[in-house]
Amino acid sequence: MNRRELFANVTGVGAHSEAARACSGADIVPNVPLRTHENVEVRFYDDLVKGRQVLINMMYASCESYCPAITARLVEIHKALAERMGKDLFMYSISLKPAEDGPAALKEFAKMHGALLPGWTFLTGDPYDIETLRFALFRHNHIKLDLDTQAHTGKLRIINDAINRWVHVAPFASKATVLQHISWADPPKTLEQRLEDNRRLQEQIGKEVEQFGYRKVI
Amino acid sequence: MQRRTVLQLLALVSLLAAGSPGSLLAASSCEAEAKRSGTDSTRYFMVLAARTGVFYERSGPSFVALMRAGADDYDVGAVGIYAGANKQPVFGPVPAGSYEEMLREARNSSSDVMLRLELNPAQYERTLNVLRLWERRVREKALLYPDIAMDNILLVKQATEELNRCSRTIVSYNLDWGLQDDISEHNTPLRIPYEYFKELKRLNGAKHVPDPAMPPALLAATHSKE
Repeated sequence: MNRRELFANVTGVGAHSEAARACSGADIVPNVPLRTHENVEVRFYDDLVKGRQVLINMMYASCESYCPAITARLVEIHKALAERMGKDLFMYSISLKPAEDGPAALKEFAKMHGALLPGWTFLTGDPYDIETLRFALFRHNHIKLDLDTQAHTGKLRIINDAINRWVHVAPFASKATVLQHISWADPPKTLEQRLEDNRRLQEQIGKEVEQFGYRKVI
Repeated sequence: MQRRTVLQLLALVSLLAAGSPGSLLAASSCEAEAKRSGTDSTRYFMVLAARTGVFYERSGPSFVALMRAGADDYDVGAVGIYAGANKQPVFGPVPAGSYEEMLREARNSSSDVMLRLELNPAQYERTLNVLRLWERRVREKALLYPDIAMDNILLVKQATEELNRCSRTIVSYNLDWGLQDDISEHNTPLRIPYEYFKELKRLNGAKHVPDPAMPPALLAATHSKE
């Protein structure tokens, strides 16, 4: 009688492996192959994230609850940051149901919600790769929450790969809050820019104190 | 007895593991399971095995093993956490030398737990797909968590939950880190599978397949190192 090993002789992963210690973008963000709503094949890290500031959310075309509302909020965000979109800021919406959402379905979803905008790409791919991506970008390290794919439609991940900064915000927060979180991942400003920002802020504080008797702006 | 590694399986692994467990397993569906004639003499088993007192925080190896005994051949394999060099936990396909001893009836009931369940062909295929998916994740360094203990928890959860996908085969325990999940609440991630298997054995002890009821070839496979 012949014996057959069910699994290949693959070296296992130790508790203190290289992957577990790694902390830079290329090691954290999976470089999985994906397909855009324009049916172009891309590598997620190399082509879309490397060296860029990006906003990433998950959705699916047949979603009738959170996804349309969040997409509408993201359209507002896109309008507020239109000057930067497609230049130094990019938006990616990744399908949670890649088996259902081909490029055409995603393009239709984007068109229906007014999201066919510069710098905004809808993405689909192999379910195995999407699962890898979902855990890498949105996991809670909690089995129940991580297995609830629906919960992942309510998150927005902001990454500035050039400075290795990750920020997270709920897209249902106010537009000002979302924009503020995005700014936390902005490229570092020069001294002149920061002095100018401080001057404007102080000017606004001065006006508010004069008008209301206290500072309102945070 | 001859042992051979079937490299051709790797190609199949890639195909089978192309989807997440939920989506790919749905394809093999309960309809196919119901249509099985039951005339096949091949027998299928899942073994849930874990041990304590091996690693630094008193936990130990824990894995899911699958066994199939046909007329002329048999398959054995396990995926999970085993003790690597210097008794460090390692996650992946478990070497035969590490799993064989733990697939026997537990000798020390205070530190070992082993639950052996007989499966139907569809359950075997589904759980095999789960294990192959994790084998692929190890091979491609695409694990879902930075902590291998968490990956192993997800593996044992997905593999055991496949048993009840089409009909209630075992009394389950909801290992979900929810409010009712005492095991996850009170144990370190490395120890959770041990406690989970212990609880499943308590709930399903009557379904445990003892040594005398096992096909001789499979029983011998767990003693090949002796």
